[in-house]
Amino acid sequence: MFFFQPAREKTKFSPINILLNTLLKVFAANFNFRPGLKKYLKSDLGWIDFSIGFRTDSGSVASAVIFKNGKVSVTKIIPKNIDTMLTFHSDGAVLKLLSATPTEQLFMVLKGQLSTAGNQSHLNLFFFFLSLLLNNKQKKLMEKERKISKKALLKETPAHNKELSDDLQKRFAYRMKADSIDKNVKFLDDPFLSEYGLDDFPRVKDFLDIHFEVKPEVCPELPKLVTDWHKQNGYEKDTNGNPWSPILRKGHAFKHLMENRKPLIRKNDLIAGTTTTKDIGVVVYPEGHGTMIWGELLTVPHRTLNPYDVSEDTLNVLHHEIFPYWSNRNFKEWVRDKYDNPLCQQIDERFAIYFLWKSVTISHTIPDFPKLMSMGTGKMIAEINEQMKPFKDGSNEKASLEAMILCLEGLTSYSKNLAAYAAEKAGAEKDEKRKAELENLAKICSQIVEKPARTLDEAVNAMWISWVGLHMESTNAGLSLGRLDQWLQPYFEADMEKLKTKEEKAEYIKHAVELIGCFYMRCTDHLPLTPDMANWVFGGSSSDQAITLGGMTPEGEDGVCDITYIFLKVTEMLSIRDPNVNARFSPGINSDTYLKRLCEVNLITSATPSMHNDDEVMASLEEFNYEIEDLRNWSATGCVEPTLSGKHIGHTNFQMMNMVAALEMALNNGTHPLLNWKLGPDTGKIEDDPFKTFDDFFDAFTTQFKFIIDQSIEYNEMLAEAHQVIRPTPLLSSVIDGCIRTGKDVTVGGAKYNSSGAALIGLADVTDSLLVIKKLVYDDKKITLKDLKKAVDENFENDPALHAMATKKVPLFGSGSDEAVAMADRIAKFAHDYYGSKKHYRGGKYAVGFWSMSNHVAYGTLTGALPSGRLSGKAFTPGLTPEPNASKNLLDNIRDVARLDTKNINNNIAFNVKVIPAAEDSREKTVNDMFSYVKTYFDLGGMQMQMNVVTSETLKDAMAHPENYRNLLVRISGYNAYFVTLNRDMQLELIERAEFGM
Amino acid sequence: MQKTPLILDLKGNSLDDGPGIRTVVFFKGCPLSCVWCHNPESKKSGAEISFDKNECVGCNTCIETCPENALNRKNPFFIDRNRCTLCGACAEACPSGALSMVGRIMTVEDIVAIAAKDKPFFKNSGGGVTLSGGEPTLHMDFLSELLRNLKKEGIHTLLETCGLFEFKSFEKKVLPHIDTIYYDIKILDPEAHQQFCGVKNDRILENFKNLNVLSAKNDFELLARTPLIPNITATEKNLTRIVDFLNTQGVNQARLLAYNPLWHEKNEKIGTRNSFENDKEMTTWLPKEKHESFRTLYTDKRIDLG
Repeated sequence: MFFFQPAREKTKFSPINILLNTLLKVFAANFNFRPGLKKYLKSDLGWIDFSIGFRTDSGSVASAVIFKNGKVSVTKIIPKNIDTMLTFHSDGAVLKLLSATPTEQLFMVLKGQLSTAGNQSHLNLFFFFLSLLLNNKQKKLMEKERKISKKALLKETPAHNKELSDDLQKRFAYRMKADSIDKNVKFLDDPFLSEYGLDDFPRVKDFLDIHFEVKPEVCPELPKLVTDWHKQNGYEKDTNGNPWSPILRKGHAFKHLMENRKPLIRKNDLIAGTTTTKDIGVVVYPEGHGTMIWGELLTVPHRTLNPYDVSEDTLNVLHHEIFPYWSNRNFKEWVRDKYDNPLCQQIDERFAIYFLWKSVTISHTIPDFPKLMSMGTGKMIAEINEQMKPFKDGSNEKASLEAMILCLEGLTSYSKNLAAYAAEKAGAEKDEKRKAELENLAKICSQIVEKPARTLDEAVNAMWISWVGLHMESTNAGLSLGRLDQWLQPYFEADMEKLKTKEEKAEYIKHAVELIGCFYMRCTDHLPLTPDMANWVFGGSSSDQAITLGGMTPEGEDGVCDITYIFLKVTEMLSIRDPNVNARFSPGINSDTYLKRLCEVNLITSATPSMHNDDEVMASLEEFNYEIEDLRNWSATGCVEPTLSGKHIGHTNFQMMNMVAALEMALNNGTHPLLNWKLGPDTGKIEDDPFKTFDDFFDAFTTQFKFIIDQSIEYNEMLAEAHQVIRPTPLLSSVIDGCIRTGKDVTVGGAKYNSSGAALIGLADVTDSLLVIKKLVYDDKKITLKDLKKAVDENFENDPALHAMATKKVPLFGSGSDEAVAMADRIAKFAHDYYGSKKHYRGGKYAVGFWSMSNHVAYGTLTGALPSGRLSGKAFTPGLTPEPNASKNLLDNIRDVARLDTKNINNNIAFNVKVIPAAEDSREKTVNDMFSYVKTYFDLGGMQMQMNVVTSETLKDAMAHPENYRNLLVRISGYNAYFVTLNRDMQLELIERAEFGM
Repeated sequence: MQKTPLILDLKGNSLDDGPGIRTVVFFKGCPLSCVWCHNPESKKSGAEISFDKNECVGCNTCIETCPENALNRKNPFFIDRNRCTLCGACAEACPSGALSMVGRIMTVEDIVAIAAKDKPFFKNSGGGVTLSGGEPTLHMDFLSELLRNLKKEGIHTLLETCGLFEFKSFEKKVLPHIDTIYYDIKILDPEAHQQFCGVKNDRILENFKNLNVLSAKNDFELLARTPLIPNITATEKNLTRIVDFLNTQGVNQARLLAYNPLWHEKNEKIGTRNSFENDKEMTTWLPKEKHESFRTLYTDKRIDLG
């Protein structure tokens, strides 16, 4: 709850106030008198009591709805201790909210028509109540919206162009052969495995169909089991009334969950275990952002983007049993309670300036799979017991280690339950071949995860079961898999060495491809819970489980091996968005053949893998003085960010920061224009001509930037504390080096290496805007800053000449201009140094990267016109990609991005390039062209590059005729998505990206 | 003719003008005047002014700037080129780049410096610099100096030529620094060549024969190319004659350049018209089947088209 200060002076109420009051009374009467609705006022713990206030800035409206003891009442005086307050910026917005779809409600918040304060779970509950009354209307409105937009699209592109979609499918048919064999590829005669296509793996092909055709469903299993356990055993206090040690509580709850989850094996799968009880399940983490979906439970199956089914049982369990229990027991509400809804949290909840992923999860790391596979939980528990000896009873260290044991025991139980289930299924199986497979799975699951894996099948199953466990412990967002080729190769080699004949070996290689195919498809069995808001902010993103291939080994040798190519084959055949495949290229160590294969897979899938330059990524991390073997063992995390595998909690996406907001605030003396909110310090009103030199203006920009960085870090540290209290992660800690030794959970800094990484968005847009200001205002004196700002405020509508000058006559970042690169470096250096100077709560440092997930679109929507000439509401460029009009020559883009100083970029980048193969070119020529770009980019010092190989024409066709493009994969900024699942703004952004013919 | 040529443009990242990634230098000025010329702005040797109406934002800054009052929105070409003195003031003032000067003086050093920036791309792709135009051999001394400097930088050089040049001078000044020559053989019939390209083709064919002999024993590659222009070069008769010619010379490699109909609007920008604007075949792509049937004329006679 928070305390609202009513206005002292008497204000005049508007007629809207009377209308609102009447509507709320009708709402109340419905819930008070209709038993079918009244039942929703109650949870299994009793009546749900809370209150919601409505007011306008001007005070013209004031009303409150109070839910107490099963009664709903409406008052005209907002009580002081209101739980949640909605403040509207106009009278009209008040009524709009009550009749809007959930999406429209969200947009009212985003566009600054409405701000909220206080408990967000209750706000979502109130929206759920509204939806109980109005969901038929809401569904109709959504349907209508869809029809209107479809009609508009069909008007533009009436007929589907089959040639375009066929062209994408044809890419799968032609397959190049490798022209050389890498040193550490020991068994593959043709590393490109060109003899195989998806049709050779009917089992995997069926799974792919399920992936595209089955509608995901919200699964209540996890929250139900966990909530039941807590109701029985307490949350803040245990059954004896003593405060729970959070970490022990988590250990016990996790063990209970793992012991009681349904053991399941998908029909025909070679890998046992599932993350949910559904074919494709949406996981609900009630202590994370679970309650965010409350308001949409009735509409989520009907929404346009990424709809999920919610069964009636699930809805009832979530509403009556789960969400009420967690309304206050989640990260955001914990911070709100403890720190009284601080400013740093209020800014976050307006979405236009920064968004902290820490409000959802801390994951974003790489577990030590080799340890788990080679030791098994049995030996790990023995190790922990040994380490526990010096610690006293009742110490935090002992509790942490005990919790790790509980978690590992839980994981073991799950594996044993799977073994029993497999045996039972085998008994009932009629098909002999499948029966044998199930019997084998039963054997595998009785060996692992307790005892060491001995074969590739055991290793992959052990990895998957622990992956399920890790996802039962914390949110499925960005937790990543790491260097699976390095870690699985020894098992593959050992298996192969046992085989005698050529035929046996060939058969086994095919089996390995199928097994990895099954593993990829396992990774698609779960989706993050996505409130509609996230469809707009993080559109089309799945769990972003990054896999990292290739590069150098910890010893500095060539890491490309048989399994590298097997993973690439699977990546090519499946062409799915998640796992998110990242490939390392180590110049001078990895072969050109390997890099060409990466390009070919990228061409065939049109969007993956993303490619990294080992040397530059490692150079960017030099300042941390990591041990060299650990550094060489880095993996991409979530999108692109580097984490030292198994030893590092880098929370590499703790926040998405809109740098452009700082620029807007500098132009407006600390006020954010869209939010109309004076937040930052006074840096001078442009009207008063306060900036004598360009550097004066640059200082204003950095002053505002510092302010929002400070706020966001303050919130990060508060949320970090919430994680320590609400969700320690002992299982993850048991597979991150350092935690067992120190007896510390990863949330309090137990890992060997610690840091947090930010994603800074809008580097090209800020750079270009500052260049325009510098050149036109200060260097050439063609215009005053006042006039430029006026044009910006008017979205350049009255000054097309100035708009043309800004966009055409100033050398932008990506045009080959030294000054532009220097400007980008200057901004990056400032950000790097300032973030780096902030104390980090777990030890280590704050790191900065320049990639954007999809926030360059969302933040663009919430930003006015810029001095660079970018118009109001348009997307920023993805990652640090240059503006499309910077140069017609792709080489200029490549050179400028490559020569940025990587020392300022210790959380990686996303450089997007859209290239189009010429229809008449051979596969070899196209691959060679792509290879030449990437290789040279790396030679010139580039860090990361990702290519979309699809024409705008195809994307436009897909927008209007999505049914023909269900698997059209695109790379957004760091992650992959299916184009047809993206919101309209994101689709347009992809279409408008610069397109370079090959 | 001036001593140093005007350069139209340096286009980086070209993937269609020779092997690998290439930087193409477009020279201004050409001894031929092909009616279909796809780069009409490269015909004249002197500077020109270009107006792109699609880029114009209508601010009228240029009209106010022009000292000759040569700009008028009522003029279909916008610029009265009889009044225009090519002073460039309007292009300088134009905020959008709709008005621009075509052709600029560049030194050998300027060109080499720009091209050398692309060397890392040349290295990985097997690319280099392509000299095109216009006709680079109109400026034999400049070309020679440029090629010599490019070779000094270790850059692969490729010349695209119409073949109309003084052979002795070419052999002495250009040939030693050239890796590959793309040589246009457009029309074999002398009369038709005169009609559509403005000059006779005897010297062009003669030069080709000589080069072909030299290429057998020297370290450069020669490739004959024919642009497919509907009803002009792309006729069975013409192509058969070209094939015969190549066969006689013992040539077993050639290229056919697909017709690109998207060149018409370029004329308007520099204030000219062409007579094919409403010609259906000239404004559409060549049908695939037709293209294929032309190819078989070559492949039947064992000339490889790549």
